[in-house]
Amino acid sequence: MLRGGVVGFGRMGLTHFSILNTHPSVDLVAVCDSSGFVLKTAAQHMGVKAFKSFDKMLGTMGLDFVIVATPTAIHADVAECAITNNAHVFVEKPLTLDPEQSRHLLELVRGKNLVHQVGYTMRFHDIFMKVKSLLDSGAIGQIVAFTVEMNGPVVLHDARRGWRSKKTEGGGCLYDFASHGVDLVNYFVGSPDEVIGTVLNHIYSDGVEDAISSTFVYRNGARGNLLANWSDPSYRKPSCRFEALGRRGKIIADFYTYKVFFQEDPEVAGYTEGWNEGYLADIAEPVRFYVRGFQFTRQLDYFIDCILEQRACETCSFEDGLCTDIIMHRIRTDGDIRRSHDGQNYIRRQPVLRH
Amino acid sequence: MDRIILGDNQFFGINHMSEEKGRSLAIRFKDTEAIIRVIDTAYACGVRAFMLNTHDRVEKICDHFRASPGKYADLRLYPSMPYAHKYANAVHEKGLVGTLNAFVFSGRSVRQVANTVIRGGMSVINKDMIEVMKLLVDAEMRMFRGLNVPAIFLQNIVTDLLLGFGAREAFIEFTKHVKKIYGADPAFNTMNMPALVDFLLASGIENPIVCSSINKTGFLMTPSQHEYERALAQKPFRPMAMSILASGAISPGEAVEYVCHLPNVESIVFGASSKEHIVQTVEMICSHWNIEAGVPELAEAS
Repeated sequence: MLRGGVVGFGRMGLTHFSILNTHPSVDLVAVCDSSGFVLKTAAQHMGVKAFKSFDKMLGTMGLDFVIVATPTAIHADVAECAITNNAHVFVEKPLTLDPEQSRHLLELVRGKNLVHQVGYTMRFHDIFMKVKSLLDSGAIGQIVAFTVEMNGPVVLHDARRGWRSKKTEGGGCLYDFASHGVDLVNYFVGSPDEVIGTVLNHIYSDGVEDAISSTFVYRNGARGNLLANWSDPSYRKPSCRFEALGRRGKIIADFYTYKVFFQEDPEVAGYTEGWNEGYLADIAEPVRFYVRGFQFTRQLDYFIDCILEQRACETCSFEDGLCTDIIMHRIRTDGDIRRSHDGQNYIRRQPVLRH
Repeated sequence: MDRIILGDNQFFGINHMSEEKGRSLAIRFKDTEAIIRVIDTAYACGVRAFMLNTHDRVEKICDHFRASPGKYADLRLYPSMPYAHKYANAVHEKGLVGTLNAFVFSGRSVRQVANTVIRGGMSVINKDMIEVMKLLVDAEMRMFRGLNVPAIFLQNIVTDLLLGFGAREAFIEFTKHVKKIYGADPAFNTMNMPALVDFLLASGIENPIVCSSINKTGFLMTPSQHEYERALAQKPFRPMAMSILASGAISPGEAVEYVCHLPNVESIVFGASSKEHIVQTVEMICSHWNIEAGVPELAEAS
């Protein structure tokens, strides 16, 4: 049995705990959080040891692995402590707020034989897994243009409370919400050669952006756009849509549906020329325990499998986390250029990419 | 328990096949009157039971029922709580404790707040989570006041989180609370039916009502369709089937035939928004189960 602990017992920490607590090879023994009420409840009803200090938890419990689900600003401290204590480590997304910190973590973890994973859960979503396999098969050809859109009703009022409203804590639409979309760009298309035209909008929040638009340019001529807004009340829940035009076809995908268009008959089984359509209900692979979506169990079971089989994660490793952090840092930097002194955004012409 | 229950996902733009379809439904059911028209259509087809989540708009639907007690004399409501997104969004803005306080105390009179304070303490932060849960159940049940509620469902995200935690006491206390305060049967929505049934039975909750996705393609049947069919055949519980169409992956005829011929399924919750679909589904279920819909309007409506 692997002994595990969860640091940060908010929405994601609770979800991870619930999923791992039912894993036949896992024994969750410790929880760390800053709230006394949360710790009291965990100790009373979940049969775990509760800690206010992650140092103490990691130093005394002899854990095989740790799930880090704290506000992003302290991911690096907790992850470093876990690595120092020889614990395999799963960190919620994004890895850190600073690529240098992420790089440091990667170097630390590489020095030890530890499994490391970042919670980019969309890579484990049935539809986006299907998109990845179609893109990798080359069926739609080289990507020419793509769009990643993320929208949701997350912040709908003037919000000044909680860590998600503070840039220094890792709040804001870019890091806390759109990081999933940025990671899909990294996963599906790769890191852009240039990030331009970024606009970070404030709608309700003071200290953080509520919406982002940004353009990605690639040396091979491809172009992509990220459009994210966590203050859109017309959505019932967060949504993510990916659309890519290739030289031989097109893919459009969201959480429930994917549509693929082929200019000519593709050499991919099950697909024909013209439009093809598939639904989550048709392709979803069962998991052993379901909470909030197949992808949450799938990503954690992958992490545990990697530990048990003593192999490195091939997806969502700290390398991937670092790569996505770098893209987000470039988006933020590009967006800050366009921010005037009074906090309003403006568009300024940027140098054109030279080939 | 009612054998045929109309669900409410369609009224709130919930569609697991396409976001666009969900949006169309949200537009169609923008006005509560549009929802009530569908409910009345189902009523005329002999459906007397409705599962309603605790979305803010359900209060208005319940106001309508309360305003016509004669018309809805034999109406039976099956609340499913909580409406998860309402809480998830509030937690983001108000924090966990702020959210709990807001939901427990909002919309209450001074006297009601005083009573809650006596039972739960001025701030729920100092209390045990079990007490908080009871206060939240009471807060959610306010919208159903005065209406006939045979069973109260714990919504699947909460059920499955608690199942994962192994929070036995939470299930036991929920069961006691809904029986004692509302005279209702405790019931549970889940995506992990076999595991939940075992857990509830092991916790001493006898013959529980468990509502889960049951469909011919095995969609949202965790860990497998085979385990579901085995649990249905062997475990002592009251199974209710939802998602019988697997978000549109199965034709209605095939879907109903599969579910109706499984052993021991007591009820089917189905979603429909047109008279044609309601009539068709009710007729098919009645025919497979060899039951009467119960009112003469069925023949007329069809």
